[in-house]
Amino acid sequence: MAHYDPPKQGKASQLIDVVVLVVLTVGALFVPLWLGMAGAAKSVATPVENPTWEALGQTPAQAAKYEALGYDPASAHDLILARFDYSFSFGALLTMIAVILLYYFLILRFSEVEYREVISEKFGDK
Amino acid sequence: MTDVDITSKTMDGMGPHGTKVGLLRVLGPAHVWALGVGIVLVGEYMGWNFAVGKGGAYAALIACWFAGILYTCVAMIDSEVTSTVASAGGQYTQAKHIVGPLMAFNVGLYLVFAYTMLEAANAITAGYLFSVVATMSGHEAALDQRPFIILVIMFLAWLNYRGVLATLTFNLVITAIAFVAILVLFLATSGVVGGGIMEHAALFEGHEMPYGWIGVLAAMHFGLWYYLGIEGTTQAAEEVRSPARALPFGTLAGIMTLLIAATLTWYVCSGALPWEFLGDGVNGSVAPLFDTARLSGSNALIWLLGIGTLFATLASANGCINDASRAWFAMGRDKYLPGWFGAVHPKYRTPYRAIVFLVPIALIFALGAPLDQVITFSILSGLLGYTFMPLNIIMFRKKWPLNSIKRGYEHPFHPLPAITLLTLCAVTFFAVFLGYGTQLVAMIGFYIVVSLWFHFWRYRFVNRGAQFTMPWPKPQGY
Amino acid sequence: MDLWNWLEYAAWALSVAFGLHMLLDWLKTDSSYSEDVLTSSREGELEAMAEEHKVKS
Repeated sequence: MAHYDPPKQGKASQLIDVVVLVVLTVGALFVPLWLGMAGAAKSVATPVENPTWEALGQTPAQAAKYEALGYDPASAHDLILARFDYSFSFGALLTMIAVILLYYFLILRFSEVEYREVISEKFGDK
Repeated sequence: MTDVDITSKTMDGMGPHGTKVGLLRVLGPAHVWALGVGIVLVGEYMGWNFAVGKGGAYAALIACWFAGILYTCVAMIDSEVTSTVASAGGQYTQAKHIVGPLMAFNVGLYLVFAYTMLEAANAITAGYLFSVVATMSGHEAALDQRPFIILVIMFLAWLNYRGVLATLTFNLVITAIAFVAILVLFLATSGVVGGGIMEHAALFEGHEMPYGWIGVLAAMHFGLWYYLGIEGTTQAAEEVRSPARALPFGTLAGIMTLLIAATLTWYVCSGALPWEFLGDGVNGSVAPLFDTARLSGSNALIWLLGIGTLFATLASANGCINDASRAWFAMGRDKYLPGWFGAVHPKYRTPYRAIVFLVPIALIFALGAPLDQVITFSILSGLLGYTFMPLNIIMFRKKWPLNSIKRGYEHPFHPLPAITLLTLCAVTFFAVFLGYGTQLVAMIGFYIVVSLWFHFWRYRFVNRGAQFTMPWPKPQGY
Repeated sequence: MDLWNWLEYAAWALSVAFGLHMLLDWLKTDSSYSEDVLTSSREGELEAMAEEHKVKS
């Protein structure tokens, strides 16, 4: 394969490339935040009126620890009862699997094309 | 390009490497250990306990050990490849030689993001610690955490800028102190030497598996946090005196240290703190080891673990700056990123432009984003990197079988570790999906977009054959 | 004004000092060395290792 001579990149063009990367990065983190799609919040499904340690499902030994940490049943209520919701749809799961597979397929495919070029320039076609 | 001009002060051929300026080879295996463990140990002081919240105390222990297996595979695979491909950039350079340029570009970005996000998370935690200390010492108004967050990042960047030996020696000292603090807490509270406060049976009663087995799966997400970053040892490859020996030794010693530290941490914290409190890292136990020390009633332990927590965050942020800048520098040197970043400071011999450039990026995330988002971004980048490793080792063994090149270290039972690692990564993807599916897709969307940008635009500036720098024979099958 | 208020100011000042030191040194370095020297680092200059890589097959 013929030797490939890369063009020399000017200062302005280098700067633009950096800006593009930074914008994409910041975007990837903040766009889900702005759209409010981020995170898995815990919530309390069934609140307890006038909580006591027993009503919160705590044995005396566990209650003693909470008291040592400075909680009473009312202030520990949300902390103890909040739970994650692990329900999900299979549609969403399949979408995720498809996206991950597509991504790895894409980079492995392109990498292979570029890699063959590198090897043939480095070692020559034999 | 003229290499030598005897009339010039700087290019007269009399420099340390002729006229060439490269990174300095000054580190030993202890520094490698400090870099690897230093980055990770903060995970024992904060963050791992989210796994308890995801599935209960037992789930966190199972996740701790399965993640331990995952990282043992990572360390073994990494040790073999890096003892052969010893170069700044670590996994990035491995990917470039073994899989191909686009994969290498992606891996380089995983590294930079995983470490820069982790650095931001550490700075946030350090700022929080200062505010806790301020409140405890009677400061009335809420402390402005921003100057402390900025100071942590600025000081550590400055240290990194000034030279790698001082940076990692500093890391060695504070990491060792933070690790000893965990050991002391274990000895003092577990009852091994008398006077324990452990009540595992009483605390677990009625709360063994609050979410059932799906909670165990979900806990894998934060199970990674016990060890995340140990693979960063490879970044030091160009600065270690004897990479083929020091890197495998430092990395494997590091993962053993962490397995011990993680198990001890789980033991003392779950034996002292109720799981609902322990598992809520935002409203409950932000720093679980510190909270355990508080319950012990000993002021000396409170101080020791408070200092340990601060040192662990500093050591981690410090190692992250070191690793992220090496990866960014290596990509600049190959023109994967603008070549301007591939510069080495002639006096301090550090990739100074990469270090300075990443400071504002870290600040944006430390000051502008919530902690769990930053952690998730870091974990996701790490996870994508671990998924790459099994592909990497399988291709490595196929293209260069064992006898075709000299390896400093050969990992046993191939391909079992690779398959185990791939399976555990799949489980962890599912765990992340349960909590943060949208981020996962947004993040992979980001990597797809930058991959296209690289393939169709950026790659034109890269030398084709010259980027393959290892003195290896032609790979088999090409 | 208690101790912590002073510490806040001290933290701001130190941050600026570290930042300025890096910035000034960076500008000084860039202007006193040529770009070719600064970017002369190359991957794979591993003298000791390179010699041991011989094809055995």
